[in-house]
Amino acid sequence: MRAMPFLSRRAFLGFLAASFPAAALVRRAHALAVDDIASSPRTLRAVGEAVLPSELGSFGTAAAVDHFQRWIAGYRKGAELLHGYGTSTLEHAGPTPATRWAAQLDGLDAQGFADLSLERRREMIRTQLAALEVDHIGSVGRAPHVAVALLAHFYGSPEATDLCYQSKIRSQTCRPLASSSRLPLPLAAGRA
Amino acid sequence: MTGFVKQRVIESDVCIIGSGISAAMVADRLARTTRGRIIVLEAGDEAPSLASRYALRDRYLQYGESPWPNDHLDGYEMEGPLQSRSMQVGGLAMHWGGVTPRWSPEDFKTKSLFGVGTDWPISYDDLDPFYQEAEELIGVAGEQGPASMDPRSKPFPMAPLPLTYNLGLLKSWASSAGITMWSQPSSKNSRPYDGRAECCRNDTCTPICPIGAKYSPDFTWNRLRAANRITLYPRTLVRRLVTDARSSRVVSADAVQLGTGAGAPVTFRAKQFVVAAGYVWSSHLLLLSGVANRSGMVGKYLGGHRNQQAFIELPLRLYPGMNGQHSLVSKQFMRTPPDARYLRHDLRVWESSYDRGPRLRDGAGSIMLGDDVMRDWRARTTTGVARVRAYYDVIPDRESALTLDTARRNSWGDPLPKLAFRDAPESAALRSYSDATIKALFEKMARAGNGKVIRNEEDDDGFQDHPTGGCRMGHDAATSVVDGWGRSHDHDNLFVVGAPTCVSASCANATLTFCALALRAASAIAK
Repeated sequence: MRAMPFLSRRAFLGFLAASFPAAALVRRAHALAVDDIASSPRTLRAVGEAVLPSELGSFGTAAAVDHFQRWIAGYRKGAELLHGYGTSTLEHAGPTPATRWAAQLDGLDAQGFADLSLERRREMIRTQLAALEVDHIGSVGRAPHVAVALLAHFYGSPEATDLCYQSKIRSQTCRPLASSSRLPLPLAAGRA
Repeated sequence: MTGFVKQRVIESDVCIIGSGISAAMVADRLARTTRGRIIVLEAGDEAPSLASRYALRDRYLQYGESPWPNDHLDGYEMEGPLQSRSMQVGGLAMHWGGVTPRWSPEDFKTKSLFGVGTDWPISYDDLDPFYQEAEELIGVAGEQGPASMDPRSKPFPMAPLPLTYNLGLLKSWASSAGITMWSQPSSKNSRPYDGRAECCRNDTCTPICPIGAKYSPDFTWNRLRAANRITLYPRTLVRRLVTDARSSRVVSADAVQLGTGAGAPVTFRAKQFVVAAGYVWSSHLLLLSGVANRSGMVGKYLGGHRNQQAFIELPLRLYPGMNGQHSLVSKQFMRTPPDARYLRHDLRVWESSYDRGPRLRDGAGSIMLGDDVMRDWRARTTTGVARVRAYYDVIPDRESALTLDTARRNSWGDPLPKLAFRDAPESAALRSYSDATIKALFEKMARAGNGKVIRNEEDDDGFQDHPTGGCRMGHDAATSVVDGWGRSHDHDNLFVVGAPTCVSASCANATLTFCALALRAASAIAK
């Protein structure tokens, strides 16, 4: 019998969960992937530095990555999604993307991703996205690559919109009704 | 051996079936004007409390999860374009947009004025006081449009929602195209109202307002329950209305209480029954029960309106996200000129971020990362995009219908409904003309602002928005199900209220009209 190539405990569970999607196995695989990403964040932060805008600064980039990690940890497979209008079909959240993204981070880590220059990191990510034929940023949960998921998570935020417009629009937050008639205030220089 | 189970029987003066917004209007008025015992039956579960809605909204924003989990019955996948699967205390108005235009006087007499469709047995003037009552009950913030287009006898209960900076610019643009627009009336508080908070424009009116600034029926139910004026039974599915063979009066609603096994049977006996279960479940129950249908019209004449929508690029610096669900409205096109073919439509304008989001690939198809994404996004947001939409009136065909689908049944063996919308021949013949005329209007608007239409959209075949009908009202018992008060022609203690009783569906959001019709019906029930 041929020896199996080395698999981490998480990767092995991820493989098992994909092959035999029993609820307990899937939950365990998700939890392990989340733990792994959280316990060794260096590669994910290096992805953040490569794909997020530099004007965020190191603090802003780290915060964006931390928020993304919390998003991953909070994902619930099978959760009921918002009903569509015009149909009686119900939809539920798909399998956790955490196992896929953790495996991609492992792959980057194996190539010393975090030690590369920003330009080399971007080249590597561009190559991987081109191979996956990724065309748009899309939704976080359906992102085929962890770098696109991070982009989707950041660019879907009100903070990103404010940064783009250099204005305090503060969408999706509670704001005084009366002030809506005025031009949004400008952002302080360099702040989102 | 089967054990003997005593059938539970619950008595009341008025039994309301359904707990959506029309049911809430009926219950509220009866609670104010009568002393009778009122019970309300709802197949779905309780809605989450107001206190829990921030957390539910956060899951929606972060993950797209439904903020109304489990608001449906299992096994109810059906054929046809159901507006929403949602079923819970408060009904679909738990997640409505809170948009509350009145319909126009012309809507109630299209046959007399334009030679199409069917005149209602009531006029706009008959409904005007009930529109006002509804606006005060649910709290409508509105701006009076020009009186010739937007008649009303009293002011709105609240000042309008202010136009955002974006909508101010878009109003000037519309004006340059010769279109008069104003702030869309909405059931969202422009000031604290009836114990509920002022709107803080956090952009998720649909599907969930986390602060209660938008009216939803749970507020009415909570108040009436706290005052012991009603008893509301959630998880209670009415399967049949039962009539007395001698008097033809409805004597009971036979139901099952859900939650355990096959459900415990319960009989609700009442002096009067009010079916307030929306355009699907009202007709469905009557068809299952074989009542109120001597005319054969139950389930017929399902109506709605179709829309044309466009995104227009304009040389305006807009800031999407300032109050994204609020819009401008015009009723300028709701009256067909005497020399024109029949077409009536509303017109609304919103800020939009369509085609103005961040992207991964640049115009040449190269993948962008880092600063390039933000740089590209900024460059593309120096101009703005407006969303424009027109709902246009569709005359329903008799065979635009809800029927019983014997191939699909629920857990109790009852056939599920099947829906099929169909335009009346006059509307079908006008469809191309209607679509082309509205698209031409959008082009004209774009030109007036030195902009261009960058995308056109229209409803898919089969679905019509703000659906109505199935138990249409009329004077003639041979061609309608209920009279102008919502009373069944066949059973004098049975009322149907709200959406199913509409003769046609106008060309504007319908919920306020459902409320007004329900309040008018309640005034008759109370007598």
